[in-house]
Amino acid sequence: MRNAMQTGLIVAAILAVLTVTEYLFATRVEDDLVRFLGIAASAIGKAALIVYYFMHIYRLWRPQEAH
Amino acid sequence: MALATAHQPAGHAPAHNHLAINRAGLWLFFFSETILFGLLLSARFYLEGIHREELDQLLGLGITIVLLLSSVTAYTAETAIEHDNKKVGSWYLFFTILLGLIFAGGVAFEWSTAHFSRHESFGSVFFTMTGIHATHVITGVVMLILVWIQALRGRYSSKNPWAVSAVVMYWHFVDVVWVFYYPALYLTK
Repeated sequence: MRNAMQTGLIVAAILAVLTVTEYLFATRVEDDLVRFLGIAASAIGKAALIVYYFMHIYRLWRPQEAH
Repeated sequence: MALATAHQPAGHAPAHNHLAINRAGLWLFFFSETILFGLLLSARFYLEGIHREELDQLLGLGITIVLLLSSVTAYTAETAIEHDNKKVGSWYLFFTILLGLIFAGGVAFEWSTAHFSRHESFGSVFFTMTGIHATHVITGVVMLILVWIQALRGRYSSKNPWAVSAVVMYWHFVDVVWVFYYPALYLTK
């Protein structure tokens, strides 16, 4: 359980960093394309982390694993 | 692969296949929901491009942090139940419910203070997107409350965690939707 909790905390920290990065891109970057790409990359990164580590999408390919 | 086993009759499938079928069904539900939320996101950019009205940035960032934090507490609750730590699991389910209610309250406050109306195109997409998302949040909170009550009665354990996992996965999905809605509504310009 300790390992799983540590994973959760590390993912939470990365999510926080990406949220701040996203906010900084939106408020500080003047170039439209760079701003859009920065925001989009942060959002996609956050979604990927949640889908993989929190929603355990990999379990779809491991039916024998109960949880 | 879970999807490959889904054609077997549920009544004759071994226990691990039941779980695989449940998971596959839930993910299919998420994919169908993704179409709904994705179309709304497309409508937002189709109608308004990257333009947006002024919104309370502090509130937007605050409710985003609250929802991300609720995903962490939901993950902790699920992990605790899967390791038979029922007390910790129940507490973190409660924290998730609380954070979900704070998020819904934040959206309600944003609605009450918005200086644009639903008759404008940005207002139309803003209220539709946040409204449908908030409806999912409220639905998630109701399901979390039901699961929390059962968890307090000790119904879930490492051998029977599916209900908690399913509701928590739904909660994470709602969070993923907001991960895209927040920048689309609050950060583009």
